[in-house]
Amino acid sequence: MKEEIIEGRRRLEEELRKLVGNIFVPEAKVFGMACGCVGFAADLRGLQSDAVEVFTEKINAILEEISESVGVKPEIIYARKLPGSEEVVVLTTRDLCERCRNEFAGSKAPPRPDIMMLKKKRRR
Amino acid sequence: MRLVVPHPGHFAALKEIIEVKEAEGLNEVVEVYMAGSPEVMGSGRATLHSARIADIKEQTAYAHQHDLKMNIVVNPSCLGGYHLTFEGYKLFKRYFEELNKADVDGVTVAEPYFIELLRDFSMETVVSCIAHVDSPQRAEFFEDLGADTIAVDTNINRNFAVLEAITKAVNCDLKVLVNEGCLYKCPFRHAHFNLFSHITSSRSSLMKAQSPNIFSDYYFDKCISMRVRDPSQIIRSPWIRPEDMQEYEAIGINHFKISGRANAVNWIINCMVAYARRSFNGNLLELIDCPSELRYTFHLDNELLEGSIKQWKTCKKICDECRYCDELTAKVLRVHEK
Repeated sequence: MKEEIIEGRRRLEEELRKLVGNIFVPEAKVFGMACGCVGFAADLRGLQSDAVEVFTEKINAILEEISESVGVKPEIIYARKLPGSEEVVVLTTRDLCERCRNEFAGSKAPPRPDIMMLKKKRRR
Repeated sequence: MRLVVPHPGHFAALKEIIEVKEAEGLNEVVEVYMAGSPEVMGSGRATLHSARIADIKEQTAYAHQHDLKMNIVVNPSCLGGYHLTFEGYKLFKRYFEELNKADVDGVTVAEPYFIELLRDFSMETVVSCIAHVDSPQRAEFFEDLGADTIAVDTNINRNFAVLEAITKAVNCDLKVLVNEGCLYKCPFRHAHFNLFSHITSSRSSLMKAQSPNIFSDYYFDKCISMRVRDPSQIIRSPWIRPEDMQEYEAIGINHFKISGRANAVNWIINCMVAYARRSFNGNLLELIDCPSELRYTFHLDNELLEGSIKQWKTCKKICDECRYCDELTAKVLRVHEK
């Protein structure tokens, strides 16, 4: 797992640099929450929301691969912006618990204004 | 009953809130509120959307088409004195003019000076709960300044003698927040609002790219830890069950505000439905605007809380002598088992 996370961080940074330019991924992690959600999250510096909009499909494909390599089958993929700005500070893939499935993926609108929903799989 | 509902700020969320309100026939919902523009001033609570005037205008028009009022919340507890500079005065006065032109129905503020400034406009001037109106005397001060509506300090939500006295002391409208999950008499309240007021303002040095980030939200982390160690603090928090709103109507308060504009839209919709229907089954923490960690950790059985309002209505708030909430905690609150 350790190697996969390290490689995932490196690969995401490399791919984003190819797509967008100078992007820094200072940290990547696999997380498990008390509610039951698990996921993969990468902190970012230098990425803006317009680039995410343009490259959504490519970013999703990269994140899905990395996520599965660390054992997380993503149900949703989203970007979190710094509130009130267009700076994207985290990319997250998440396998949702029942509760968060309703709260986070159950609305047509993005759940919050700082969240850009990049992919939402239908409930299995 | 008139119910005021939070709106996270993005147009898609407003459409979804209204869609559910209309589909469910929730006529009690009369107003939505959203944060103003961080470029102009911060806010007492987390602000996840940067609403431009054009955006506010468009959303206000949409709300009006659906018979809903729009209130813009610009309630920092601290502006660092900027509002009392000529530059600040001009900026804020202009902003209120723009909101007025955008056909906004009301503005919620905490700063007394803004209440006077807003006298020049037809918009409803609402005093935020962050102004801590907790007595008839304080309510009279704010009414004299120009308040049309006062959201009272949540710390008096369960002090019916004071609430009733305020209703008698002022002619302006009063409203209570129903689901704020803050600690009763929280020692961090003022400091936390001040912190938010600065970090949600684009003008703040803390928002600048080169500034040192704060190392943590001390108040937030500390507040969760305190409640995990002493869960009775969750019970003492001054939230109001949907079933208990009638007790407030009985003393002349029929204006209720749901807090939580930084939450997910579906969370907001669930709260709106529960409070509009005055009924909820399950973990009451699902409705309380509190850190989600508490929802994950504890289950607060709403049905078992039936009748507790009778004690709280007459409670002297001397917890050390009373111990009602400690005993109630043992009955109604349990740790989730996983």
